[in-house]
Amino acid sequence: MKQRVPSINDTQARRWARRLSARVEKILVSHPDADRDNIRHTLILLEQPPLARLQRSLIRGRATAIFRK
Amino acid sequence: MAAPLPFSESELRLLQVLLKRKVRFMVVGLSAATLQGAPVVTQDVDLWFENLGELKISRALQEVGAAYLPPSAINPPMFAGAGAELFDIVIRMDGLGTFADEFKNSIEIPLGRQKLKVLSLERILVSKIAANRAKDKLTIPVLRDALAATQSLKRRTKKK
Repeated sequence: MKQRVPSINDTQARRWARRLSARVEKILVSHPDADRDNIRHTLILLEQPPLARLQRSLIRGRATAIFRK
Repeated sequence: MAAPLPFSESELRLLQVLLKRKVRFMVVGLSAATLQGAPVVTQDVDLWFENLGELKISRALQEVGAAYLPPSAINPPMFAGAGAELFDIVIRMDGLGTFADEFKNSIEIPLGRQKLKVLSLERILVSKIAANRAKDKLTIPVLRDALAATQSLKRRTKKK
């Protein structure tokens, strides 16, 4: 079977994921009670500009409110 | 491509007019937390004003076609009209110092050419712990973890 040659994007994605996991683990060492997902999501959000973070939050918050109605 | 704005044109205009008129206010609550990377959701943007009775505020609201509704038996203090509905007015923050003290230690987020003052994540956590309502209890652990992540990232950046 022919193996798919990883594209540059795949490589970059793996590198990014590895770097992210390493940062999460490092933070968990000094904050063992912290939730892994909260840390991971915060680090991902910190890669975006502040106003984009707020926009995501508002979209999700309003969608949840509509769903509840 | 520039990042999308969370505000409509009229919401953005209101914030810009308030800043232009040098009204002292800051973004607080979960919207402030989310601006700093906390993975939480919110439906509105809470604004804490130093002095709601200031003429500058009503003039700014007039300029964008909105108005201030003082608190009554049926509603809390609120803004009404074009572009103002997204914003919730906060008149007190549990567990924090005076507006002036918190303002001094707030952080700044660029909003076009202006800078929006935002209560720091650390202080948001303090206020949520002090308020301790059922909805606050749900977000406290997330805010605590987000603070740990942001502080660790800051330390890392400083070391470089």
